[in-house]
Amino acid sequence: MSTLDSGDSPAESPVGPGQGPDSGDSERVRSVVRGLGELLITAGLVVLLFVVYEVYVTDLVSAGKQREATSALEDTWKAGPPEEERVDHFEGLGEGAGFAKMFVPALGSDYAFTILEGTTEKTLEVGPGHYPGTAYPGQPGNFAVAGHRVGKGAPFNDIDLLNSCDAIVVETRFSWFVYRVMPKKDEVGRWAEKAADPRCKGVAPLGAPYDEVVGQEIVSPRDSSVIAPVPHRPGAEGSVGEQVTLMTLTTCHPRFSDRERLIVHAVFVQHWAKDPAHPEFRPPELKETS
Amino acid sequence: MYGWIWRHLPGPMAVRAITACLLIAAVVALLMFVVFPWIEPKLPFNQVTTE
Repeated sequence: MSTLDSGDSPAESPVGPGQGPDSGDSERVRSVVRGLGELLITAGLVVLLFVVYEVYVTDLVSAGKQREATSALEDTWKAGPPEEERVDHFEGLGEGAGFAKMFVPALGSDYAFTILEGTTEKTLEVGPGHYPGTAYPGQPGNFAVAGHRVGKGAPFNDIDLLNSCDAIVVETRFSWFVYRVMPKKDEVGRWAEKAADPRCKGVAPLGAPYDEVVGQEIVSPRDSSVIAPVPHRPGAEGSVGEQVTLMTLTTCHPRFSDRERLIVHAVFVQHWAKDPAHPEFRPPELKETS
Repeated sequence: MYGWIWRHLPGPMAVRAITACLLIAAVVALLMFVVFPWIEPKLPFNQVTTE
């Protein structure tokens, strides 16, 4: 690369001033140093190329896979057997099967991802993945979803920017479920100020055993209790009927690292049943783009 | 290293330049489609789940 000007053969290499007849040694040193330099430059270029790969190329690949998953999900919604009760069933979902879409209008009106079952690497490459064993949309308990923050479409890149009361809208075959981000830790004490906001209807700090559940937190990667039915209190869930309907997002933190996990908790506030007579209906919460 | 490769490419200047470009493209493709996907899961920023 940098040596295109170094002549066609060693014999033609220009001999610099001050080099005696026995310049063979210095010639050898020079070629070793040059080789080393080229190696280092090459290594730098490879690392740069990796950044390009990680930040752009994986995005392109994942965008394609996400598109496929979304159209597959829409096909199953259209082609599925008509159900008179119009209730969603999530039993028997295989790893990587899409079952819902999520919208976060605060992150842009085009923020939409198909959520898939499972949290394996392969699934998360396609889109946000649901932790098997946790609740499904609209069900009491904790609907927990993991997503990438760097590359792979980075669905959860900006969830640290979510404010309390921001809407997370989940669409299933028969329903729209609206969750809203819980009060943040520093807002819990003075929630009355914020509660006046019409968007905060249905959002308030929860009492025990949910008193440790806040809108955003940063935890250790080993802290699996954040996706428990009662976050931070595994085993305290009681009966399903007593459980609050929560949604939890998990991603890595800080960005480009896996030292910690960024967690966002949201609480269910509103259910819209889809009306087959009005397939164009969209929940008003989707317009909260600012 | 690069000088050595350049000197050993056959043909006139134009042909050598094209061969060199093809070589670079081959190396980039190898990195993008084989090496990077292999090395990526071993790096620290792709763990997004709690255990």
